[in-house]
Amino acid sequence: MTLLEIRDIHTYYGKIHALKGISVTVDEGEIVTLIGGNGAGKTTTLNTISGITPAAEGQVILNGEDITSTRPHEIVMRGVVQSPEGRKVFTRLTVTENLEMGAFARSDVAGIKRDMDYVFDRFPRLLERRTQLGGTLSGGEQQMLAIGRALMGKPRILLLDEPSMGLAPMLVKQIFEVITYLNTENHTTILLVEQNARMALSIANRAYVLQSGAITHADSAEALQHDESIIEAYLGGH
Amino acid sequence: MTDSQSHDASPQPGTVDMITTSLLKNTLYNPLRLAGGLLIFLLVYVAVTNIASGNYTLEAFVRQSITGLAQGGIYALIALGYTLVYGILLMINFAHGEVFMAGAYVGFFAINAMEQSGMLADHTFLALLITLMVGVVASVTIALLLERIAYRPLRGAPRLVPLITAIGASITLQQLFLRLFGPDPRVYPRVNLYILPGIFKDLECAEVSGAQVCKGLDLIDGLYRVDVLGMNLRIRPVFFLVAFFAIVLMIALWFFVQRTKTGKAMRAVAEDKNAAALMGINVDRVIATTFVLGAALAGAGAVLFALYNQQVTPFMGFVPGIKAFTAAVLGGIGNIPGAMLGGFFLGIVESTGPALLGISSQLKDVIAFGLLVLILIFRPTGIFGEVLAEKKA
Amino acid sequence: MLRKIVLVMGVFAIAALGLSLVSAQDTMGSSVMVPPDGEIVIGVAAALSGEGLAPLGEDIVRGAQLANITRPTVKIGDVEFAVTLDPQDDTCAAEGGQAVANRYVSDERVVAVVGPMCSSACRAAGPIFDAAGYTSISPSCTAPDLTDGTFASFNRVVPTDAFQGVVDAEFVFNTLGLTRIATIHDGSPYGEGLVTVMAEAFIELGGEVVFQDAVNVGDTDFRALLDRVADADPELVFFVGFIAEGSRLASQRFDAGLDEVAFMGADGIFSPDFISTAGDAAEGVYVSSPTPSSEIYDAFVAAYVEEFGVEEPSGPYHANAADAYNVILNAIEAVGTVDDNGDLVIDRAALNEAIRATSDYEGLIGTITCEENGECASAAITIYQVVDGAFVLASETMQGE
Repeated sequence: MTLLEIRDIHTYYGKIHALKGISVTVDEGEIVTLIGGNGAGKTTTLNTISGITPAAEGQVILNGEDITSTRPHEIVMRGVVQSPEGRKVFTRLTVTENLEMGAFARSDVAGIKRDMDYVFDRFPRLLERRTQLGGTLSGGEQQMLAIGRALMGKPRILLLDEPSMGLAPMLVKQIFEVITYLNTENHTTILLVEQNARMALSIANRAYVLQSGAITHADSAEALQHDESIIEAYLGGH
Repeated sequence: MTDSQSHDASPQPGTVDMITTSLLKNTLYNPLRLAGGLLIFLLVYVAVTNIASGNYTLEAFVRQSITGLAQGGIYALIALGYTLVYGILLMINFAHGEVFMAGAYVGFFAINAMEQSGMLADHTFLALLITLMVGVVASVTIALLLERIAYRPLRGAPRLVPLITAIGASITLQQLFLRLFGPDPRVYPRVNLYILPGIFKDLECAEVSGAQVCKGLDLIDGLYRVDVLGMNLRIRPVFFLVAFFAIVLMIALWFFVQRTKTGKAMRAVAEDKNAAALMGINVDRVIATTFVLGAALAGAGAVLFALYNQQVTPFMGFVPGIKAFTAAVLGGIGNIPGAMLGGFFLGIVESTGPALLGISSQLKDVIAFGLLVLILIFRPTGIFGEVLAEKKA
Repeated sequence: MLRKIVLVMGVFAIAALGLSLVSAQDTMGSSVMVPPDGEIVIGVAAALSGEGLAPLGEDIVRGAQLANITRPTVKIGDVEFAVTLDPQDDTCAAEGGQAVANRYVSDERVVAVVGPMCSSACRAAGPIFDAAGYTSISPSCTAPDLTDGTFASFNRVVPTDAFQGVVDAEFVFNTLGLTRIATIHDGSPYGEGLVTVMAEAFIELGGEVVFQDAVNVGDTDFRALLDRVADADPELVFFVGFIAEGSRLASQRFDAGLDEVAFMGADGIFSPDFISTAGDAAEGVYVSSPTPSSEIYDAFVAAYVEEFGVEEPSGPYHANAADAYNVILNAIEAVGTVDDNGDLVIDRAALNEAIRATSDYEGLIGTITCEENGECASAAITIYQVVDGAFVLASETMQGE
């Protein structure tokens, strides 16, 4: 069943035509990944879904409902939560406060408590540093916090933007384990944007390849992993 | 507040010398700082000479500090609004002085009506409470309209644009009130609010049908001679009331921002509006809340101010607004306790400075703004300014 | 390009110079001719626009209008000529004074001018009236140097700032018997000027000025300043400025413990607004003002109130304007002649001389006698005190020499 669908969206940054008619569907329970080079329009796609840079044309449909011009915080309340590129942890809020902000749209106190325990359980480092300011964490810890914070929003669909960026390989592996876990155990639908295409394709069900604001390939992750042109362009050859 | 600052706060022993040396070096080789340092030296020299020659007594200092405390409390209440809005939007709401004015002005109509109806005399405390609320509501309404009409549409614009708009809004509001209510000052009635007759047994006494009746301390209009440590002081309780209000409201505000969900959301929005929106925070509403909080403090301050200064005019907000802005910058703009301390500091310096230096009272503004320049030379982020703020900008 | 501009400007300058020479020659010793059915035109220059200025200018125009209603004609022998007023806006500024003066000198029918209103405007109008041989009487320009002989055409029926200060000093020292004063002004030329004159006169009388300072217009809290005043222990605080600062100082002086110290102001706070703003704190305050106190003046104010349908005059200079008008008419009657055609001929130079020869004219502001320099303000300064929320006389009106 289709959870999220974007239909032929066009998005502009001022006069720059960033997205030129992109269509993506994400089914319930899937991990879908968008891969592509710098400036291909991956982050813009996520921000258009989240309402930060609304589409000029086209539609974003969530569960059959048009959310194209819905405001960002309302989109979050409908279960579409984004963990933005560059982590965007609140540097002057403590770890706990950051997590609380993730749960801003919720009011089920018991549920929030349970989810926070879950995050601390998954990322014991965050528990150790729960009273520290976000700005004092290391890059890896910040990424854990960013993902933990997104989880606190109890998403139906999680939009992850470059979760592996700037992390050591060990950490990258750990982050991807968490993503897989979220998908399999929590049944969270995930739309993943990654430059580390090899890693992304290894855990995704399906994938889209973006180039200059348009989709060039769309197929199962399995198929794309073996597509010569993809290997050449995005998987760093053989 | 942050780790990056902690080394400033508690330098390890042995590094003190190093810091002093580098500070000295820094001062000697920077012409601006050198000039600033010389000026400070000169001011201190003049002040010390004045005190040594007996021209300036401790008694005078205490007396002037008490009036400065009240004025500083008013500055502080306005400065908190400047600092809140700046902290979140990096925008200087120059119309904030007019938000203050609106509170005092509309409060006048309430208290005047209650004076006419006799309610002010019969139920003084309730009447004052209503006046305060009316003032707060008026200020909040003006601030919300400002935010919605003048500032929100320009949120994406370069920072200079809302600044100019704010100045325009300031003038517009002044002229609007001038046209609506005329240039003549409105005069608050003198209010007697008697409290604690049990403690202040011998105050405000009068013969009532043969018996001696004492009403207690007159909190608003009272003026009492008090001898403390051989100093002959004249105390108006309302001055302490203003200072008390400023401190209590600052602490309440601080707790609000630190502890409540909305307060945390305000800090999140201050740091990154898009990231905050992605948390499900309604950024527009949080910004409006910020304006509401600042305006409420200004409105409360305005009514207090008018209760002991009586006169209310369409232009009354301008000078205090500028001074409060100075106070906010002194304290480190964006910093809540800093704004309050900056306000008190400015109020006291303004009232004691001219006499301490033996110069004309006309120069008190020169002292205020000169101080601002001096402090910014040595601490560009203000006394309590966060170093983090620089990174963000 | 630049050279061209300079050239053009040079040509204009030469032309202007030539014109002014020509016009000066043309009008020097000129006279006004009024046909039998014509009207004598008197200009009235005052500020008719501007926040806080228009009421004062309007007051001057009304004063002249009321005088014109009471005395609408000039009688030369058996022939009567009607007088009409031509009010113009001098904006209380140099540019306005210049514009107004140019307008009047270009209209040959204008016989003389009541005004301008402000010293800046008077100073700008002076040379233009001089060149055209015109004469004027200002009801309100008080700057002392206007009568130092620079302008042949300038006369005034208002005491110079120097006079009020001396009267104030004498009142405090002689009438109140006080010897220690503190002075405060508001930084305006008016405030600073009057305070300086008063303080000098007070010291000359043998008094002591124990504290001198100034306030900023727009400030709201003067308690620290008043505290310094209290430390100097004066017997009277003398303030010159306007209503807003004056009423705040009057109110806040109690917070500084100046209860027993007298408070005195000048014409800048002589207004019902001062009493309503300062409230109880206004009680006992002394105020000096050139506004006269006499039965004929009271009758004039009553007529003013009735004629213009107002509660009270909107400014202090209505009587001065009326007197200026009457002095001009007296002078016209003295020098005007009727020629064979029945035309009224007024020699402008003779008219100015006749004004300066005015002697013992009983005006609203007192007995008016003009001096050679155009100083006609044998006017009076009266000192009032606020009692039960109204200004009452505190001294006999002091006459200048």
